[in-house]
Amino acid sequence: MNRSIRRLGIGLVVLYLALFVKLNWIQVIDKDDLDANPLNTAQVRRDFNRPRGSISTADGVLIAQSVPNPDESSEFERVRVYPEGDLFGQATGFFSFRYGSSGLEKEYSDLLAGTTFEQQIRGFADLLVARENVGNLSISLRKDVQELARAQLGDREGSVVAVDPRTGELLAFWSYPSYDPNYISNVDQAAAKEAWDIYNAAPGQPMRAHQYQDRYFPGSTFKVVTGSVGLQTGKVTDEEPVYPRVTSYTPPQTNLAISNFGGQVCGGPLPDVLRVSCNSAFAEMGQATIGAADMISGSESWGFNKAAPIDLPDPARSVFPTDVVNNPPKLAQSSIGQSDVQATPLQMALVAAGVANGGTIMTPHLMTQVLDSQGEVVKTYEQKPWLTPLSPEHAATMRADMVNVAERGTATGLLIPGYEVGGKTGTAQLGTEPPQSHTWIIGFAGLPGQDPSVAIAVVVLNQSGASEATGGRIAAPIARAVMEKILQVQNGG
Amino acid sequence: MTQRRNTELGLMLMAVIITAGAYVLASLGSDARIPANIIPFMASVLGLLLGAHVAVRRLAPESDPILLPMAALLNGLGYVVIAGLPEQTNMPSGEVLARQQAVWTAIGVVGFVATLWFVRRPRDLVRYRYTFGLLGIALLLLPLVPGLGTDRGSGSQIWVSVGPVNFQPGEVAKVLLAIFFAAYLAEQRELIATSVWKVGPVRLPDPKYLGPVLLAWVVTLVVMVYQKDLGSSLLFFALFVVMIWVATGRTSFLVIGGGLFAAGAWFAYRTFGHVQDRVSIWLDPWKDPSGTGYQIVQGLFAMAFGGVTGTGLGLSSGVRIPASESDFIFAVLAEQLGLLGGALVIMAYLLMVGSGLRIAARADHAFDKLLATGLTLLLGVQAFLIIGGVTRLLPLTGVTLPFVSYGGSSLVVNYVLLALLLRVSDQNERGRARPRVEAVAA
Repeated sequence: MNRSIRRLGIGLVVLYLALFVKLNWIQVIDKDDLDANPLNTAQVRRDFNRPRGSISTADGVLIAQSVPNPDESSEFERVRVYPEGDLFGQATGFFSFRYGSSGLEKEYSDLLAGTTFEQQIRGFADLLVARENVGNLSISLRKDVQELARAQLGDREGSVVAVDPRTGELLAFWSYPSYDPNYISNVDQAAAKEAWDIYNAAPGQPMRAHQYQDRYFPGSTFKVVTGSVGLQTGKVTDEEPVYPRVTSYTPPQTNLAISNFGGQVCGGPLPDVLRVSCNSAFAEMGQATIGAADMISGSESWGFNKAAPIDLPDPARSVFPTDVVNNPPKLAQSSIGQSDVQATPLQMALVAAGVANGGTIMTPHLMTQVLDSQGEVVKTYEQKPWLTPLSPEHAATMRADMVNVAERGTATGLLIPGYEVGGKTGTAQLGTEPPQSHTWIIGFAGLPGQDPSVAIAVVVLNQSGASEATGGRIAAPIARAVMEKILQVQNGG
Repeated sequence: MTQRRNTELGLMLMAVIITAGAYVLASLGSDARIPANIIPFMASVLGLLLGAHVAVRRLAPESDPILLPMAALLNGLGYVVIAGLPEQTNMPSGEVLARQQAVWTAIGVVGFVATLWFVRRPRDLVRYRYTFGLLGIALLLLPLVPGLGTDRGSGSQIWVSVGPVNFQPGEVAKVLLAIFFAAYLAEQRELIATSVWKVGPVRLPDPKYLGPVLLAWVVTLVVMVYQKDLGSSLLFFALFVVMIWVATGRTSFLVIGGGLFAAGAWFAYRTFGHVQDRVSIWLDPWKDPSGTGYQIVQGLFAMAFGGVTGTGLGLSSGVRIPASESDFIFAVLAEQLGLLGGALVIMAYLLMVGSGLRIAARADHAFDKLLATGLTLLLGVQAFLIIGGVTRLLPLTGVTLPFVSYGGSSLVVNYVLLALLLRVSDQNERGRARPRVEAVAA
């Protein structure tokens, strides 16, 4: 029997070795992945009962803070509250015991909790002084602008993203439906779960930050990218080529024509075809004039096929299809923002910002400063360029062409008296029975003769109607009102 | 004699010092969750374990010196982890659990000493083999009696509730059945090993000697189906198959056993929702990470958060793993003590398995060999099943982590199991030591 017992021993040793290997796998090899999992609340749990800094807006409104728990019998000493409710929900995110954290709460968790190396060193220096070693976050959004965006969009699904093209600071960041992070951050676990379930079952996914986590067909707003790629590659100028005045363009290898809206006849050089948003001309421009390789690398130079490096967790990638090389019909469709082209509202705001800022897209961000509890600056956001898809002279050309669209083309709804405004409408058709579309506008504005100080993208989803005018009619007034408010604030009234 | 016992005393003291040190550390930190007022309970636990050592000095002086200290270490570490569990809705706090665990440890040690006292020779047990066998099966089936059995909200019908007392009869049954099997196989092993039943060209053991074994197999299936207790079922099955294999030395039993297991597993998987659930959660806990996969996923998070060195005793954030005081205690332990602590626990079990199998190998009589093998297997396989389940090496089967988990039935039975192993060990060494002493004297 001893032989069997020995073999049994060897067998058990092998089994236990497997346990040891598996434990190494979890605690060493997979550790970083598991720690970073969005469902992992370990970090939150550790942070939950520690002091935590506040988040406040550029106009000094507190939008997230920790206050003593009124329920003294609770195991939680503090509760996290969001005084502005849903207004900043998608920016701050939530800080929940059960569900972890999201948004700024997640991105800047260590700074808020005061656990970064720099903060620990500072805390060590005044070891004998009793004060909370937390970080208070300031962000670039303003309550008044945000409220206006919320009122303007109303109860239509969509997003409003405005950015200062010169710095990358976000100025408006609203999407509907939004959610109130107070409910998810409730220390009453049953109530938090109930809210979580309700929000997850709600139409329109309120807990997603649609501004940068969802992507949509950009429609004709993408013609700015197509035109810019044409300019930057030298294949298109304001004078050449002159596209034929036709009602439709039929790419090679297909009989399916790409028609202009309402059977309209259009053509001409870049400024003219951009002004009237001429499908036939841009389809031909992308497919024949520029070609697949430059369209792919060109749109990627604008940030497509990657995620914008915003200081918020889990940004979505915007997409330009890479399988258009031997597929002229798809390339032609893609060149006018249809087919598989998809963009986040943030990405399209950055396209407008890139044109406005002399061809350089600044890294988008919300955080401007982190202060300690004494008001001393712990950290300041360092502005840095993200991409430079256009040279300054080509950017100036595209900027003038977009101003032309606002002054004489489809985006006249965007005009603000006393300011130089440029823009581009978009209407991404979703179906014809009944006609439905995502309506877009992108644009920029600033004092005449100066660099634009605001760039914007507005998308309103699932609107009835599918003509090019739809974007101008529905999305443009929202963008106009929000930009006007921002310009008033920037220029002192 | 004294050398072995002094080794044991040294190891016991080390286990006690480690546990006490861990306990002090855990209650010192500013974030400590361990309240100071259960120190008397802690002290009595450690005192009891030293008392167990004194009892071994008197009652089994030649026995193996490793097993008891390892059990003490595991018991002590488990105690500290349990005491550090924070309060949680619908669950008693670590403080309450730790007090109860102290009482259960006391009962366990009493059971340990009583077993050593009453069972003076392992073969005393042989006389009662059929009583044990029947009692074991009756206990296994007891939770199915209407009015007695309950699942206590766990989903497994494995509890018996009499007045205020709840216990898991399956825990007792496993030791009784191990004794029965050891006795039965010691008696019949020659016959089983040499009998041949030809089915065409295939040579199988004669089924008529296998009656009790097949009966046991059926019983385990019943347990699995009606009590939904996969862990115990698997444990029994491993026990039976391996014991027959060790008894007869015929590998065909492993093959047949494996085949029966595969058939049973396939049948259970196809027929029972709870088996399918366990398997699909094992394969992909991320499919429903806040529902069915919650426990596993949170366990993985906790262990990963601990990393190599752990978060520190008592500093666990693992409040929310369901069953963190029992089935999932390994995840909490590996979080607080890290890979180092987790490996320590695995090593402690491996040492116990090694000691147990050495006792089996050194035994002179077939019954002693088989008994030691069976008991060691129960301990080793149970620890493997639950650690493997928590680390997602295997589908999760709800069994306790021997000596570490909170839980009266399991703790008491494991101490009795330990006493039986020591009894066999003492018997072996006495048989060897005397002639050697005489030889030297001559």
